[in-house]
Amino acid sequence: MRSKLITAAAVTAATALAASGCSSGSSGSSSKSIKVVYWQNLDSTSKLQANFLASMVKEFTKANPGTKVNLVPVTASENDYYTKIQLMMRSPATAPDLVYEDTALINSDIAGGYLKPLDAYTAKWSDWSQYAAAAKTAVTGASDNKVYGVPDNTDTRGIWYNKQLFTKAGISVPWQPKTWADVLTAARKIKSELSGVTPLNLYTGTAGGEASSMQGFEMLLYGTPAGDKSLYDASQKKWVVGSKGFKDALDFVHTVYSEKLGPSVSDALGANFGTTVGTELIPAGKLAMDIDGSWMPNNWSSSSAKPWKDWESVMGEAAMPTQNGQAPGSTSMSGGWAWSIPAKAGNPDLAWKFLESVQTKTNSAQWNALNATIATRTDVASDPTYLNAVPTNKFFTGLVADTHYRPGLPAYNQVSTAIQKAMESVTTGQASVDKAAATFDNDVKSAVGDDKTVKGTS
Amino acid sequence: MSTLTTAPPGTDGDRRSRGVPPAAQSLLRGLPLLPSVLLLAVFLAGPIGYCVYYAFTDMQLTGASGTHFTGFANFTRAFHDADFLNAVWLTLVFVVGSAVVGQNTLGLALAVLMEKAAKPVRSIVNGVVIAAWVLPEVVAGYLMYAFFYSQGSLNSILSALHLPQQNWLYTLPILAVCLANVWRGTAFSMMVFSAALNDVPQELTEAAEMDGAGPWQRFFRVTLPVIRRSILTNLMLITLQTLSVFGLVYTMTRGGPGNKSQTLPVFMYQQAFQNSLIGYGTAIALVLLLVGALFSAVYIRLLKLEDD
Amino acid sequence: MAVAATTTPKTGTTPVTAAPRTLRRRRPRPGRAVVNVLLLAVSLVYVLPLLWMLVASVSNLNSFRLALPDALTLDNFDAVLNVDTTYRPMLNSLLLCGFATLVTVVVSILAAYPLSRYRSRLRRPFLYTILFSTGLPITAVMIPVYSMFVQVNLIDSMPGTTLFLAASALPFGIWLMKSFMDGVPLVLEEAARIDGAGAMTVLWRVVLPLMRPGVVVVTIFTFIGMWGNFFVPFILLLSPEKLPASVSVFTFLSAHDQTQYGQLSAFSIIYSLPVVMLYLILSRKLGGGFALGGALKG
Repeated sequence: MRSKLITAAAVTAATALAASGCSSGSSGSSSKSIKVVYWQNLDSTSKLQANFLASMVKEFTKANPGTKVNLVPVTASENDYYTKIQLMMRSPATAPDLVYEDTALINSDIAGGYLKPLDAYTAKWSDWSQYAAAAKTAVTGASDNKVYGVPDNTDTRGIWYNKQLFTKAGISVPWQPKTWADVLTAARKIKSELSGVTPLNLYTGTAGGEASSMQGFEMLLYGTPAGDKSLYDASQKKWVVGSKGFKDALDFVHTVYSEKLGPSVSDALGANFGTTVGTELIPAGKLAMDIDGSWMPNNWSSSSAKPWKDWESVMGEAAMPTQNGQAPGSTSMSGGWAWSIPAKAGNPDLAWKFLESVQTKTNSAQWNALNATIATRTDVASDPTYLNAVPTNKFFTGLVADTHYRPGLPAYNQVSTAIQKAMESVTTGQASVDKAAATFDNDVKSAVGDDKTVKGTS
Repeated sequence: MSTLTTAPPGTDGDRRSRGVPPAAQSLLRGLPLLPSVLLLAVFLAGPIGYCVYYAFTDMQLTGASGTHFTGFANFTRAFHDADFLNAVWLTLVFVVGSAVVGQNTLGLALAVLMEKAAKPVRSIVNGVVIAAWVLPEVVAGYLMYAFFYSQGSLNSILSALHLPQQNWLYTLPILAVCLANVWRGTAFSMMVFSAALNDVPQELTEAAEMDGAGPWQRFFRVTLPVIRRSILTNLMLITLQTLSVFGLVYTMTRGGPGNKSQTLPVFMYQQAFQNSLIGYGTAIALVLLLVGALFSAVYIRLLKLEDD
Repeated sequence: MAVAATTTPKTGTTPVTAAPRTLRRRRPRPGRAVVNVLLLAVSLVYVLPLLWMLVASVSNLNSFRLALPDALTLDNFDAVLNVDTTYRPMLNSLLLCGFATLVTVVVSILAAYPLSRYRSRLRRPFLYTILFSTGLPITAVMIPVYSMFVQVNLIDSMPGTTLFLAASALPFGIWLMKSFMDGVPLVLEEAARIDGAGAMTVLWRVVLPLMRPGVVVVTIFTFIGMWGNFFVPFILLLSPEKLPASVSVFTFLSAHDQTQYGQLSAFSIIYSLPVVMLYLILSRKLGGGFALGGALKG
């Protein structure tokens, strides 16, 4: 009996080793093949990128016979996706040749030593000059000024408003607020005129994650007089704490929720409130204003789970004003994704060649039109196929001029969490604006270190 | 688990292995342990060793490339971190509320009641309670989310009964996850106790009944003392299981809103993988391991006292 | 068959003896009716969430409320029943979890025997060590495990992942198995030994048949745990075509995507089926689920 078991164990072990031997071939990359890793979400848009990339691979392998491109989608939540690609990039045996990342993460991964500088490639690539300066900044290393990625899309944020509800409340459309006060005035008017309608959605709280930080708070913060230096002072390389602008922005959040101009606090702080806003509240005409992203039409297009064909006539778009209407008058926040080559990639040259073919003007335009994102190439931004793909593309592309990118630094994640905590405590009324701001200052100091912070002047 | 603490019911293998020297004999006896020792050593002991090392470093998954030894910095940080202390507290609430009190009591109650119930009723209870247990953790979490959701089943029932509704996942998330864990985990205790009750000698209860003891008295004076070892063992097992529950809480609330249902495994996951602070995250995992060891030590001590 | 007598016939003996006792000795108490009603009420609470899942999967309404649908539809099942979403991941799950459970159960039985039967100075430290390690969240060790798997070339290997899953379930498996084995009396074993049977023969022929309920509990416990494990295969397997169902289910379900309740419920049902089937098959062999507690005593 015993000997049988031992035999069985030995066989199992042998199979394991044999199988692992087989698998090693597929994880590495030879000179003629590359491995491309990207994130595949499970929502309604899940197949967009898969199909697009598949067609790109077909085009590429036809033009370059003998090459092979392995597409490896990773299906997971965004955070787990990062965990996985970071682990993969740690070792040459598993590192992909091309990897798709949020631009907000790039500096973190540069500091982690995962990415390869691409300057040698971009220098010889004429198309690189077509990329918008802001988009290039987003993929540039903060410490060495080298290029680490090619951004293939961006987004901007503004105010979506329901023209029918505005007219009903007696506010003339088209509407463009000049200051924060204008936004609040409109919200108060809607609250008094229309019952059963939430005047304004402002994302808040930790459950909302980055949506709370970006669509919610930074849309306000970067519109304060300190502008680009309101959260991080790039010239001093220090995080800004104790600023008046930070408190003003928190005060705006507090006003919205304490005056009940926003959604009910429990709804706003729930997980996945974003989906509810896009798929239920807005189409049902229960929300008058929503500070949100350029991608909102994805919720309503004919390929979505709940198509809403009237959105083009019902919804209006306005730029987010600066606090007091100071120059440049409006503000926006941008993110976006980029392709990078890992430092331990086995075949960077072929990976770059593939990347070039994916990022031609035609292909970029097709991609931006397909997934309803904002173009990063200036020649695409004026391309009619792209502009006509989604009716709001023109408006949101226009916001690129005054947009801001988040500080692409490793510590940003923790600062962002601190922002969400501060927002949540003033939303619920657990803490006063002053106290929440003080907690934020402490959180930031403990995350980045005292010496990496500076007191805000405005 | 009497053998854990008292002398094992040693069989006399001597009969078979006459002539074999004692050292060789104990090696021979230990041989069946070999596959498990090998698997545990290679796949768990090694990685756990690394984790202990990581816990004393500033290792990050991204944002910094070097790893430096930082001594007890992660632990000091944890005990000054309000979120960590909150997580420890919530973990205790979760373990005591859902396992020690919830699953254990409900499991015992169900087992006792089922002894007295009609057969079809017993089958039904068994069926549904065990169904909740065999469901995969994520599915259970999803169902419980749907149940406690503000527009979910529970509130629609409450409103039908004209009772006040609650946004359970917002106002009382820790209660919601506790109840969810009771829902999912009670089957195990129920089965353990059903088996234990079955071994209570009938003469004992009958004798007590003859002496005029009521059902409560019989339960507390006769049944409970007889099955107390099963209770302690069960408590230890479900405590350890509940301590490391992650999927259920994460699927239901992700630890929120804020940190109101952030138990230690969720906190660890968020620090290690969302904030990429591997060093800090593994330090938290070690603390969790310690908490589990403390709990087990208490139960083992109690079991030992039982033996004396 | 001392143990079999105390564990398996629970279904039959207890109620039969309990019922006449109460009837004979006292007036027919309202107690029993109260007990029945109470238990049915508990069952109702228990069954509600399950009922919601069943209804939502065939309902045309997309709602978290438990409501009767206007019309029944199989669209939700249609939408998820395809190779990429269901069939291949489920097959991978079956392979990974099936083999891993087999390894865990067999190895635990082997380990439990000496731990339960022989005295040794190393026994108690060993038992305590594995007991304490059951409290460790396995997510914590995945980073070093990944590095190790890369070094020994086991990354992206199904057998490698299977062995790791098996190892991670071992501490609890061994502990539970040993506890069940402690409940098996030595009398029969000794008889077999006198007849000259070796330790392994005794284990397989005498001890195991007597602790079948225990083996079933360990098997199910192990299998459920692995079936729902998302992080381990997600980290250790790289090729999308090797990933088990838990990976997509976890992403799918924890996103709470409110536009797809129906599909999520349909998927949940399909995903839960193998575990439920395993339970039904194993418990049927023991004459109903009642004996599952086995002889787990202090």
